[in-house]
Amino acid sequence: MNSKKLDSAIEKVLKEERKSDERNVRKAVAPQQRDFPYERDGEAQVTRREFCNFLAITSTGLFLSAGAFATKAIYDASNAESLPATMIENSIDLKKGEALNFRYPTEADPAILVHTKDGGFHAYGQKCTHLACPVYFEKKNERLECPCHEGGFDVRTGNVLYGPPPRPLDKIQIEVRENGEVWAIGMTAGGQDHG
Amino acid sequence: MDSQYENQRPRVTPRGRTAVLQAKLVLLVMINLAQLWILSATIEASLARHFSELPPLIVASGICWFIGITILLWWKPTKSKRETIGR
Repeated sequence: MNSKKLDSAIEKVLKEERKSDERNVRKAVAPQQRDFPYERDGEAQVTRREFCNFLAITSTGLFLSAGAFATKAIYDASNAESLPATMIENSIDLKKGEALNFRYPTEADPAILVHTKDGGFHAYGQKCTHLACPVYFEKKNERLECPCHEGGFDVRTGNVLYGPPPRPLDKIQIEVRENGEVWAIGMTAGGQDHG
Repeated sequence: MDSQYENQRPRVTPRGRTAVLQAKLVLLVMINLAQLWILSATIEASLARHFSELPPLIVASGICWFIGITILLWWKPTKSKRETIGR
């Protein structure tokens, strides 16, 4: 008699067990679990199928992100207004072999103006193209250097000389007027000339 | 009685099916890695205003996405019906 009861109980358990599969492992709270509650470590784990679904969602996200970045870049470029001409303050007093920080095109964009030993003026966005650390003018070697990861840029062209930066510095077009004032009149993204 | 229920152990995924699922997982991981690389290249090209590089990168990412979805949705083992070992 007892044996029969046990048989039917076991059969019941196995029947419930057969119903569940990987898809509903989290819902596999069969009646026997209510009678004999216990912690199922497996329920806290992610199944292979769930992880595959997560990867598919990630893949969709990455695809959409790439599309969004490209669309935004093209949209920004097509709607770019010409930047205003701005006088760089104190540029008249800038001696050869020295540099001056200013902000262009907005107050949130740091930039650097360099007066090289040969008398030329060169201006760049100050954000390193690697991780946006501010670059500084290294007088000794006449280079723009990034202190964070030791990237170096040519002061005359903005091109990368060494280090991790992937592209040249953003170049600011300047104009030296008759009274010696230096004006910023525009900006091109680093590497745009080569694209 | 023991021998009667010995064959009724909880269902186990057949080894062949496990291999297929594992292969799906590995392929999806590799596709995600490739897409990450493509996304970083897209961002870099966008920041540098290299617009001519953008369409191929988007297409490449789209192809990766399509392959991933194909693997997930339509790539099934030849015998998809589950069976219990020993039955």
